[in-house]
Amino acid sequence: MLTLAFPLLACTVGALAAVLPTVLPATTRLSSRALGWLLSGAPLVAFIYLAAQLPHLFEGHVITWQFAWLPALGLNASLYLDGLSVLFGLIVTGIGALVLIYAGYYFDPALSHAPAAGDAHASLASQGSTTSDARFFLYILLFMASMLGLVLAGDVITLFVFWEGTSVTSFLLIAYKTKDAEARKGAFKALFVTGAGGIALLAGLLFVAAIGGGSDWATILSSRDVLRASPWYPVLLALIAFGAFTKSAQAPFHFWLPTAMSAPTPASAYLHSATMVKAGVYILARLHPALGNTELWFWLLAVAGATTMLTGAILGLRQVDLKAVLAYSTISQLGVLVMLIGEEAPEAFKALTIGVLAHALYKGALFMIVGIVDHTTGTRDLRRLGRIWRAMPLTFVVCSIAALSMAGLPPLFGFLAKEALLAAEIEEVLPAMMRVILPALTVLSGAFILAQAGTLALDTFVTPPGAGFFKTVVDLPLTGEGRDDPEDVETIDRSKPARPHLKETLLAQDPPAGMLIAPAALAALSLVITVFQPQVFTDLLASAASAAYGVKVKVSLDLFHGLNVPLLLSALAIGLGVVVFRLRSPIRSVAGPALSMNALYERTLNTIDRLAGWATRTQGGRIRIYLTVILMALFGLLALFGNLSQLLSAPPFARLAAAPLDDLLDPLGFLRAFSLILAVAAALVSVVIRRDFLAILALSASGLAVAVLIALEPSPDVALVQVVVDLLSTVILVLALSHLPIAQLARAEALNHRDRACMLRNTILAVIGGAVVTTLCLYAFASRPRESVVTPFFEQNAKPLTGADDIVGAVVVDFRGFDTLIEISVFSVAGVGVFTLLRYAMTRREALRAQPEEEAPAPSQALFRVSPALYGIDGKRASPFIHALAYLAMPLAIVLAAVQIIHGHHEPGDGFTAGVTLSLAVGFWYVVFGFAGVRRRLRGLRPGLLIGLGLLIAVIGASAPMLLGGAFFSPVDFGAVLRLPLPEGVYFSTSFLFELAICLAVFGASLFIIDALGHPEGEAE
Amino acid sequence: MDLLRAIAIGVLFGIALYQLLRRNVIRIAIGLVILSNAVNLFLLSVGAYNGVVEAYAKAVGQRSDALPQALILTAIVISMGGFSMMLALLYVIASRYRTGDSDEVRGLSH
Repeated sequence: MLTLAFPLLACTVGALAAVLPTVLPATTRLSSRALGWLLSGAPLVAFIYLAAQLPHLFEGHVITWQFAWLPALGLNASLYLDGLSVLFGLIVTGIGALVLIYAGYYFDPALSHAPAAGDAHASLASQGSTTSDARFFLYILLFMASMLGLVLAGDVITLFVFWEGTSVTSFLLIAYKTKDAEARKGAFKALFVTGAGGIALLAGLLFVAAIGGGSDWATILSSRDVLRASPWYPVLLALIAFGAFTKSAQAPFHFWLPTAMSAPTPASAYLHSATMVKAGVYILARLHPALGNTELWFWLLAVAGATTMLTGAILGLRQVDLKAVLAYSTISQLGVLVMLIGEEAPEAFKALTIGVLAHALYKGALFMIVGIVDHTTGTRDLRRLGRIWRAMPLTFVVCSIAALSMAGLPPLFGFLAKEALLAAEIEEVLPAMMRVILPALTVLSGAFILAQAGTLALDTFVTPPGAGFFKTVVDLPLTGEGRDDPEDVETIDRSKPARPHLKETLLAQDPPAGMLIAPAALAALSLVITVFQPQVFTDLLASAASAAYGVKVKVSLDLFHGLNVPLLLSALAIGLGVVVFRLRSPIRSVAGPALSMNALYERTLNTIDRLAGWATRTQGGRIRIYLTVILMALFGLLALFGNLSQLLSAPPFARLAAAPLDDLLDPLGFLRAFSLILAVAAALVSVVIRRDFLAILALSASGLAVAVLIALEPSPDVALVQVVVDLLSTVILVLALSHLPIAQLARAEALNHRDRACMLRNTILAVIGGAVVTTLCLYAFASRPRESVVTPFFEQNAKPLTGADDIVGAVVVDFRGFDTLIEISVFSVAGVGVFTLLRYAMTRREALRAQPEEEAPAPSQALFRVSPALYGIDGKRASPFIHALAYLAMPLAIVLAAVQIIHGHHEPGDGFTAGVTLSLAVGFWYVVFGFAGVRRRLRGLRPGLLIGLGLLIAVIGASAPMLLGGAFFSPVDFGAVLRLPLPEGVYFSTSFLFELAICLAVFGASLFIIDALGHPEGEAE
Repeated sequence: MDLLRAIAIGVLFGIALYQLLRRNVIRIAIGLVILSNAVNLFLLSVGAYNGVVEAYAKAVGQRSDALPQALILTAIVISMGGFSMMLALLYVIASRYRTGDSDEVRGLSH
């Protein structure tokens, strides 16, 4: 059964289909025209699907679809289709299909006359589509999916996800010409503004969901009283309005839209006019039944909308770039739509839906026409264009129809939109003052919009170049796709009869029919709707208006309602518009506003940059200074808020003072005290001793003392691991040390006891840190629970559930087996990481080695020299006795490891100890036989293979019980299941497999580490 | 005994901090190992039971607490992995910057 997710799926599949051909060689690919036609099928299918739902929706039903996304959090991804979303959905998919067809021609290299049109298109000899086209199709189809998801979203979270999706894809499309700095800047600006709005919107929507009691539309729309009565209402409204205003380019956040015009024209037509910028309008209309009908709502939207309407209308006339004119008129129209949502009258919502559709139709067409003009002439500069209607008559006709609709002239759809708008503004529900102000502003901006439409149709196609401008073309930057060519900048002297033809105008010609299909279809629809008044459109607009208003709204598409106030106002606007158009030259020469939002934006960004620069100046780059600051801040906080006096007089100290050191007298206590002192003393030695090598030995001693302490716990398993880890740490530390140039080491070593002031400061910090930890320990020891909940469970169930005697082993391998699996993965990753890190460093070091060493390493300074290329310590051949020991150590280690794996579940030891034991034996060989010697003797040893094998066995062993009906990681004794004749005390079970896996992975990882650190850096090989 | 343990852990921690604050990268590595030893010792000491026999099902008497032991076992292994990774990083940095002095390792130009 087809569900609501189907249209989304169709667009996503289309996006994938756009990229797939790029794997083919360029000559065998489809041309971009064919690709455009083909891909337009995806939105077309979605369009048909949505259209098929219309009869159902007209009856007032709502279609929903749900998918349990994160059931634990109660989060659903849901879709919701009603009159409002289907109107937007049809616009998105319908215009989407047309835009794709158009884009196929737009990116066709054969059609571009502009010298540097696009980036690589013109220079490509092949007619096949380029990866660059594929990139465009991918982005725009992804955008389509996001936009469709946005309008179909059934809850606030889903809506937000798709909302951000449109922001991101819009960014990619604006910055499509990645080599153009302006495009990148414009893209960043758009992302910055709409991204900030997106965050505010999320916060606002979460407020709505929290107060309304649910995140889906049905719940939100039915909880209007709770929402409007909430004290948070102004906050959430402000947040949502901010999100919607930034997205829909309302003043004062409109400034990102004109710079977004650096996107390829098909994207501008689609995103920045017909669809994406309407997202803000959509969310406001969607939430109107829940949040609307308050004073705040009306004033916020009406003021912002009216300001935007006027700003866009006036600024638009000043532009010389055709796309900028369209951008500003779009801003103006978005202002109209937002203003309408603010009004609480059915008329307003009728006007809203008509306005949305009318604007999408004529503006989409006009953008595509501008793209065609730009493409054939190579410029979008109004001052260079003119008198090209004879050369491109079809284009001119389409442009005229769309421009007439934009101007609001009968019998086009735009006229109806303006009528409805004016009718809504004289509704009784508005405050008396606004019933005058709003129509006045609308008439004024309507006049300017008409002048803009006149500019688009007449200045581009009919009047001579430069008409309507006082300034000449000299030194004016070119705005089109074609880059400036010094010799074709010509002066137009207004005293002489205008030069009829610039170079650009000679290039003008009609594009192929396919390229005109899309704008022609849109323009024709503007005419068809009003002339034939199809019932389906009336129903569609009525159901959308009803959904947005919350109560049923009637819509009629009749052009003539009798001689009434709106008609008179409309006539006034047209008359005024003609005057404005005639006076466009003087209007254009008036100086622009001093304060521009763009400048403010630039200044804000620069200030942030400066602040960041200032902040990073505190970063000196010395790690120990950072650490000092962190510690000081921590201790400062403790001193301020730690409540020290109460802490020190607390019961634990009293109790400890009352019974001090009584358990020291028994032999075990005595041994513990001894090993504690040993651990501390050895650690102290590692501080004070001068030579680094001896300090490492002291560290090793300290670690072994800790192991003794652990063994006395008594905890033999952990003690074993501590011993082998301590040894391995020492070995790799020594190996690393032996590879650093000796002169460097000597220099570093000399630092150890210099700088008394530093030492004093560090000592103070260390003493404070030690005191804090001691206090912490005392508290912890005094207040630790004496009865555990978990441990008795382990003790009682280790044997019956896992068959293990060793409780610690059972916890590690069975109860917390998954933890251990992750643990060995981490350890393996560390091993691989060390190996790759050092191998990469080796290759880079070749360059460094080429530079002369400033100090020759003096052998007498040698701390400890393992020259792995040679044999043994200090380059001396090891004695036969040591050789014999090494040969003995290896089989011994293997036996030891095997015993630990087999009996690990019942005796001390486990797979980890086994793995480290093996690698210690190999490490011993490295010292005795040298790197080359080990390589020769252990040729088949492949650390990577061991790791992979280990992890594989672990996963297989853990999954195997699932075959026998158990859970992942449940214990099974395969020996018993298969009736294998195994000796007493030996089990072939999941835990055995897991221990083996741990051993292999750890062995592999340790080998990697030893191998990387023991590598002689090309000396021997 | 608890008092002695607390003091010992505190001193180990202090020593580790001191080592971490030094300029010589090798001493910094040493400090890290001492730090993880101190923390493991702390974890071991906060077990609920003062055991006299090891945590085996067949053992008779008060067993030591198995839970912190299992946790430490994991902690030791992970800190070993982290330590070797850090050592490799120190090694790479030291050979790039041609110094074992952490103060000279600054800037991203090398």
